[in-house]
Amino acid sequence: MSGNQINRRDFLKIMGWSGAGVALAGCDRPTTVTLHEGKEEVVSYLMPEEYVIPGVGVYYATTCQQCPAGCGIHGRVREGRVLKAEGNPDSPVNYGKLCQMGQAGVQGHYNPDRMTKPHIRKGGNLVEASWDEAMALLKQKVGPDSGLAGDRFAWFTGQVSGHQAVLVNALMDSLGSERHYVHEVVNNAVTRAVNKDMLGVATPRYRIDEAKAILSFGADFLGAGQSPVHYATEYATFRTGDRGVLMVAEPKMSLTGANADLWMAVRPGTEGVLALGIANELVIRHKRKIDNLPAEVRDLITHYDLDTTAQITGVAGDRIVKATQWLHSRTPSLVLAGQSAENQAHGYQIAAATMLLNMVLGNVGRTIVPGTELPFPQLAAKQGGTADLRAFAKAVEQGAYDAVFFYNTNPAYTAPSYMKLAEKLQSKVGFKVVLTQFPDETAKQIADLVLPLHSPFEDWGTHVAASSYDEAVISMQQPLMEPLYPTTRGFGDIVLDVLKMRDSDNYGQYADYYAYLSQAFGALSADWQKTLQTGLLKVEGQAQRINAKAVKVSLPDYKQNAEFPYHLVPSARLGLWDGRHANIPWLQEAPDQISKVVWDSWAEMHPATADKLGVSTGDYITVTSDQGTIETQVYVFNGIHPDVVAVPMGQGHEEYGRYAKGRGVNPLKLISPKHDAKTGELALYGTRVKVAKAGRSEALVRMGGPGRNEAQLGRKLVATVTADVYRRTEGANDVA
Amino acid sequence: MARVLWAPFLAALVAVFVLLSSPVTYAEVPNAVPPKGEHNGKDVPQPIEFPHDIHAKINEINCMYCHTYARRSKVAGIPPTSKCMGCHSVIATDKPRIQKLTEYWEKRESPPWKKVHDVPDYVHFTHEKHLKRFVFDNEGMEVERVSEVCAFCHGEVKNMTVANKVKPLNMGFCVRCHEANDGPSDCWKCHK
Repeated sequence: MSGNQINRRDFLKIMGWSGAGVALAGCDRPTTVTLHEGKEEVVSYLMPEEYVIPGVGVYYATTCQQCPAGCGIHGRVREGRVLKAEGNPDSPVNYGKLCQMGQAGVQGHYNPDRMTKPHIRKGGNLVEASWDEAMALLKQKVGPDSGLAGDRFAWFTGQVSGHQAVLVNALMDSLGSERHYVHEVVNNAVTRAVNKDMLGVATPRYRIDEAKAILSFGADFLGAGQSPVHYATEYATFRTGDRGVLMVAEPKMSLTGANADLWMAVRPGTEGVLALGIANELVIRHKRKIDNLPAEVRDLITHYDLDTTAQITGVAGDRIVKATQWLHSRTPSLVLAGQSAENQAHGYQIAAATMLLNMVLGNVGRTIVPGTELPFPQLAAKQGGTADLRAFAKAVEQGAYDAVFFYNTNPAYTAPSYMKLAEKLQSKVGFKVVLTQFPDETAKQIADLVLPLHSPFEDWGTHVAASSYDEAVISMQQPLMEPLYPTTRGFGDIVLDVLKMRDSDNYGQYADYYAYLSQAFGALSADWQKTLQTGLLKVEGQAQRINAKAVKVSLPDYKQNAEFPYHLVPSARLGLWDGRHANIPWLQEAPDQISKVVWDSWAEMHPATADKLGVSTGDYITVTSDQGTIETQVYVFNGIHPDVVAVPMGQGHEEYGRYAKGRGVNPLKLISPKHDAKTGELALYGTRVKVAKAGRSEALVRMGGPGRNEAQLGRKLVATVTADVYRRTEGANDVA
Repeated sequence: MARVLWAPFLAALVAVFVLLSSPVTYAEVPNAVPPKGEHNGKDVPQPIEFPHDIHAKINEINCMYCHTYARRSKVAGIPPTSKCMGCHSVIATDKPRIQKLTEYWEKRESPPWKKVHDVPDYVHFTHEKHLKRFVFDNEGMEVERVSEVCAFCHGEVKNMTVANKVKPLNMGFCVRCHEANDGPSDCWKCHK
């Protein structure tokens, strides 16, 4: 509005004279809306492409890379610039829908803090370098004359699938290495292990749409889950017609919990007891037959009568009775376990107990059904967890590697401080290559060589979703536009170049990753052009085979901890995820779905706990584990167990660009060295903490509610109603 | 008798009044009330002093021959340099302006034209819809005379060399035209 000569007073005067004609006269003041001539350039095409009409968007199909779900998207491109991403209606993952993280992919692409040049660490500092220098260094360190022994090399990545996974493997093969660590903080690794043991398949298909009642033990399938868009779509079906009943038991209310008809604040680590207690109720009160279960399992279930269960879990008996009634009367049902339940020191046992409850309810084969297996196992998603992070930290400490490649992961941020991962990597691994788009912690603090990648909107690739759906598809990733920076490169192109150094016989024939991919599609007898148009290659897959087999679980007694009386819940949300989206302003600005805090960290706390400590919303507290202390503001909220303090993941970046750096705190740094014995997964939700008043207070900036610092200036950005009004108008059954 | 004498005079008076008060229409464009409003635009120096008059007036080239996207898109589009060269690789090659154009072409660059007509980013204006309303779907209007419709908002460009902004192109200008021509009046038609 530069050059606007109507000031507020003039505007009010004009409006005061009344009448549309007078008001419109205000619109005639030329300087209000008239742009100055000759200021901007308008450059024409030199030679237009035939299909390009300036001002008219064209759509290209590609695959979203904002989380590991692998949603198909259509990118709208105008005048050679991608402007908007929407869901691809043909994708069996997301049916044409897209979440806020997917929508914000455009802002990642245009992020002003992208890495645009290779960097080499010289004398402790990252120094800008040319690609020639970078590739020469790569050749020197991992080329055929480097003397690098195969078992001294490892990949450390986030989830990879498709032909990127093939290339990752190919590089290991060419070196003779076998180590590929896959790390995802938001994961379902324990559930996969339980499924493998009890069903015979790690990722069966969950039919949320077929269920009439769902009991979730911390599975935030609408929010930070394995495929939030897919399950939210199925959830919509679940809630229409004969409206399904949703029950959620978790220590801190998630987005899924906020949608529940019955929400139960469960003491962390006792979810398995609650599952078996409900199973017991089904047998005692509703006469469910469990003869098909082994005697030792039947015996175990009898240990958890209603009173014992209520006492251990902290969930009131009448709620357990109600949940049981719903599960009994509404079949088929579905019981899900999520991270707050399974990322405990006995997480496998908890997740197995929830699967036992599924077996008691007869859900296996009805809402837990065989999915479709991709016939190309080499393309399947390599799913991650935190067990690989632990294994990697240990191997690094033992000096196992001379060269490590990092891709699609930021362990310097996500690793708990007890691992001292960054320090160990600096002292024990000679050559660390980080392939990244952004100057994240791993690039800035530990990399010896940083290779700047194309954004997902500039790069080629193929992706295979980790979860099972109706159809098996290979989802295509293709550039939506020319790269913004001439000195970034595609992941596949870089790996292919390293492969050419070591194995030119096999890989020398490919000019670039595009050539490699199109030839690979030829080998699959796939129509390359058609796949590019639709973005999807649907393949005939084999149905998985499910063989249900109950296992005995053993649930330890709940122990109080006098020194650290509270449980730390490092919650994840659809938005910042594990912190990878903290550099996207739209997602920083989008309020947390529960607390509605923006641009910052906070600690959620029950009113009774807050009273005990003498703090209220906005007061600073210190949260201390045996690994360290963080300081943040309190948000007092009913949807949390009184023994729990919840600090969300995502903030507290030391690097990662202007929007992320120096904002809030990172609860992952407090995680204690505990893990699930069976799977090796970190007990992310098993850390005990103590809490103290820090003695200062500030307004907690939220977007929602009527408070002084929560004003939306009448914009209705986040609509809120009180619980009373909600009960009256929406017919909610039980709200905590 | 007096009544009889006065009657034609009164009728004539009413007719004159009606004529005067009714909107002045360009006889050339049927079913249209051109927008009112003037703007005294400054001269905008362009990389090449493009003579609209030679093209549109003397040689009677249709506006949409060069601004070919106007009927297909929200923007009319500056013609691609290849379109200029389609003619000027043979026509008037001895003229300094054409030689300058050829220099750009040989460097594989488009001339960096300066924008003369623009609306703010929060205004969604589409040439396509306006041409549909006033030309293609307008009974009795011939597409050969499209320049008279272009002139509603761009003035008599065929009398100019480089284009000059002579209409205000602000909201009052748009709204009055929409009112006079039964155009949509929803806020979100333009502000979306």
